[in-house]
Amino acid sequence: MKKSRTVLAVTLILLLASLVTLVSACTTQPPAEKKAFKLGLSIPLTGPAAEKGAPIGHGQLDAFKYINDELGGVAGYKIDPVWYDTNYDSQKATDIAKQLMTDGCLFFTVVASKDMSSSQVIANNAGFPGMVCFSSPSNTHPPAHIYAQLPDYGDDWTAFTKYYLKNIWKGQGKPKMALELLSNSTGFGVRDAARAMADQLGIEIVDTEQHTAKTISETDALNRIKAKNPDILFISSTPAPTAIILKNAYDLKMIPGMTVACAHASFTKALIDAAGKDITQDVFGVYPTVNFGDDVPGMAKMVEYCKAQHPEYLGNNDYLVGWASSLVNAEVLKQAIQNSNVEDLLKGDATSWKLAETNGFMKVKGYDVGGLQGPVDFSDTLDKRGSKSVKIFQIQNGQMVSLSGWVDAPNIQYETLDWFGK
Amino acid sequence: MDILIQNIITGTATGMVYALIALGFALIWKSSRVANLALGQLVLISSWFAYSMLVQFKFPFWLGMLLTIAFAILLGWLIERLALRPLIGQPILSLIAITLGLAYFLEGLTAFIWPQGQGNLPKVFPQTSFQIGPAMIQQELLWAAVISLILFILLSVFFKYHRMGIAMRATADDQLAVQACAVPVNRVFSMSWIFACVVAAIGGVLISSIAAINYGLVETGFKSFSVVILGGMESFLGCIVAGPIIGLCETFGGSQFGSSVKELIPFIIIVIVIMIKPFGLFGEERIERI
Amino acid sequence: MSLPCGIRNFSYHTDIAIIRTKTQWVLFILFMLALSVLPFYLPRSWFDTVNSIGILLIAVVGLNILMGYCGQLSLGHAGFMAIGAFTSALLTGNLHVPFLLALIISGLSAGLIGLIFGIPSLRVKGFYLAIATIAAQFIIIWILQNWTDITHGSNGLDVLPASIFNWQFDSEIKQFYLIFTFTIISVLFATNLARSRIGRAFIAIRDNDLAAEVMGINVFRYKLLAFFLGCFLAGIAGSLYAQYRGHISYEDFTFQQSILYIGMLIIGGLGSSLGPILGTVIIETLQKSLTNTIAPWLEHTMTFMPTGFSSGLNLMLFGLAIILILIFEPRGLAHLWALFKSSYRMWPFSY
Repeated sequence: MKKSRTVLAVTLILLLASLVTLVSACTTQPPAEKKAFKLGLSIPLTGPAAEKGAPIGHGQLDAFKYINDELGGVAGYKIDPVWYDTNYDSQKATDIAKQLMTDGCLFFTVVASKDMSSSQVIANNAGFPGMVCFSSPSNTHPPAHIYAQLPDYGDDWTAFTKYYLKNIWKGQGKPKMALELLSNSTGFGVRDAARAMADQLGIEIVDTEQHTAKTISETDALNRIKAKNPDILFISSTPAPTAIILKNAYDLKMIPGMTVACAHASFTKALIDAAGKDITQDVFGVYPTVNFGDDVPGMAKMVEYCKAQHPEYLGNNDYLVGWASSLVNAEVLKQAIQNSNVEDLLKGDATSWKLAETNGFMKVKGYDVGGLQGPVDFSDTLDKRGSKSVKIFQIQNGQMVSLSGWVDAPNIQYETLDWFGK
Repeated sequence: MDILIQNIITGTATGMVYALIALGFALIWKSSRVANLALGQLVLISSWFAYSMLVQFKFPFWLGMLLTIAFAILLGWLIERLALRPLIGQPILSLIAITLGLAYFLEGLTAFIWPQGQGNLPKVFPQTSFQIGPAMIQQELLWAAVISLILFILLSVFFKYHRMGIAMRATADDQLAVQACAVPVNRVFSMSWIFACVVAAIGGVLISSIAAINYGLVETGFKSFSVVILGGMESFLGCIVAGPIIGLCETFGGSQFGSSVKELIPFIIIVIVIMIKPFGLFGEERIERI
Repeated sequence: MSLPCGIRNFSYHTDIAIIRTKTQWVLFILFMLALSVLPFYLPRSWFDTVNSIGILLIAVVGLNILMGYCGQLSLGHAGFMAIGAFTSALLTGNLHVPFLLALIISGLSAGLIGLIFGIPSLRVKGFYLAIATIAAQFIIIWILQNWTDITHGSNGLDVLPASIFNWQFDSEIKQFYLIFTFTIISVLFATNLARSRIGRAFIAIRDNDLAAEVMGINVFRYKLLAFFLGCFLAGIAGSLYAQYRGHISYEDFTFQQSILYIGMLIIGGLGSSLGPILGTVIIETLQKSLTNTIAPWLEHTMTFMPTGFSSGLNLMLFGLAIILILIFEPRGLAHLWALFKSSYRMWPFSY
């Protein structure tokens, strides 16, 4: 008897669970609101990239709140951000892109380059325009319906190399550089740029090492690098592995001494927190926005919201990227509303996507985003990157100090190179 | 030459970290013949708990560590009592599957409570590195190696001489016979899970103070399976010998064939060992009867 | 299998039929009819779930042959699926092989790789085999990740939707019919296989492989056959997955996916033809609605929890379901269904 009762209990629980699921699946879909534009967001809030995804995602949502509450929306229309958590998981990211299309979003924004790599095919095939905050060359090359908010990881490498050759390098001949790259689009963006541009810029790549996001020791890779005796170590990775690389390099007495630079994927407050002030001293970094708290027109509002909503992200440049991303979204929407029939845009289907792209994205020209990042221009059909310049920073006493003004990162036409994408 | 010595030292030290985790596996297998596939997840959840204690609640290190061990004891007891005990006598497939379910559950629980995905423990050991001849070693790795050696000795002595340890070995051999000799089999199982969780917690805190707390710990758990397979499942000695072997293979393979090969090596070793000598270096071959 | 009261068999032919009574025939035909018109009344947002169920079901049916009938644990099923997916993508994309041919080749290639990793099953079983298949999963994925000339590494491959004789399956509705054709074929195949000589040999090996060998069953051959068939179906599922998704990369086939398939099978019921169906449908529906509907809703309403907490919910509930099923009903939901059916037949005399 006891057995059958437990059996009954389990059945009931499972049945209830599935019923609840079904019912809520049918009912919780909010009724389509009139006069609000749905914009999709796909954010790696949790998972291996959460330490960057979370501040960016919160920045985005806070900025939408600001746009809706204080500016009354865009041209009188509210924005309804539809967001999902990707968990930095490729399959989920693909699912989410599909879901955003069925939800009737006008266009969508993806935070991570890797998530965009998994979403972009579906979006490109359907003509569903998308924007990616942190991008890799493979996201925007060959150009299709995906736009990048900021320069990509490859551009970090070119900008830093140029800066290095001009301002730091004093030796004879070609400087030698070693790359320590995360084995996904974050690292490969730099690898591709180095492959395309190294000869032209006059730098020699002596070693390319790869690591996973979960490494616990990079001593042996650094040993190989040390044996090649490079002048520069360039790291493109997320904060945790970068911290480990820096720590191991410090132990091996490679730093201080060698010039170390990081691409913008790891160059945040999280890196300094993880590796400590001493080890990160004098590390160079590339970041495509101004520093948190710099004196630019758009800063005050952002700091105000950050203080009120998410004080834990004060001083975090990733929050700034998220905030700027939503401002760019609003600008795209503004252009789309100005240039096309609003009823068509509100449909949220293939016709609206086409309008959003031709009358929205392509019409954004020289939008300055409150000075938070380089001016955004989506009108070039070959160069899908919004802003085209980055800044060089250096960590001094645990603070990121801006060393330069905007450094141009010209478009590299990867699609003309036969090895690209392989 | 310098690089060779450096590689040997780094490889051995990283290998000892794998060995440390593998000890927790061997413990459970030795006493209850349950293969614990939730190894990495146990490490993960106890590291996050330590993170909460040390970073979020800012307890001093000794108190935080004590609480973490208390948590591990509770966790081990709960797992055995709620999930494993009802399955005593079930086929091996169910036992493996339940640890998989457990792995999923624990991973979900960690994501539920600590969704940040990344955490840094305060540094337990001094950050200066040791100079051994021409080579350098992180002090943390050295400490991890020392601690796994100590744990190995303690566990070996315990299993050899302590009453409970002997009871555990006997239980693994023949549950029915042991029960007839009035050995509390249930307590034996509980104890083995509690010990395993404590070992996992110590290992977890060590590794995550070297690197960081993230899903990498789960993957380190998978790599430890290669240690278990190579060393032989019921042998502590096997873990301590096989750990450095795996570590050395990884380091040398990495320096020979490039860093991406490093990730592959433990799994290649698993396949080779299972094809050639499935019961490992020090494992006992089990002979079956109908 | 017990028959309803008053039904008797008068010939061997009727005794071995799968569908035996008129009511069963009526129900079966109604079900097939309902399935075939499903796309016309299904809301748009559910297509993705239903099609994924169809694809996963093929893989889980394969796993059921391997694990449920033959008792060989495979923790690398997602890896075998990846082989099918990549083979099919490369054949149709680079070599312009017709889809149907590519489908079969991808099944065969997954099956062959499965054979290689099945070889240890002769000497080891249980946990050792589990670890060997974990190694298979990681080795396969590593190769797909690092053989960048062919698989394009983390960029992944773009795959065109299937086309058979110039008939493009380019919409969700067309995909539904394509996928479910193969799903039904493989379910029927597995059901009949289990009742054949091969299936009985598998079951004998599962229950006790030494005893089976003594009885004259060539254990090694049948174990390898089980690996081949299980991985063949995984390859087919992978091929369908690739052309349905339109883009594949090694990251789509994680170790977690492999555990997910095992979980579906255990929850549904090992070693029954109904088990995989129940498990896949229920778990996949739950998973999709959790990630797409419930999790965002929870995040919006329960703002006092740290952001992102709901990502753990999925894993937690799934793990819990496996544990509960194993403790309370190790034979899965299929067995519960069978219990329900027999008590319904006997009602009100339950003994």
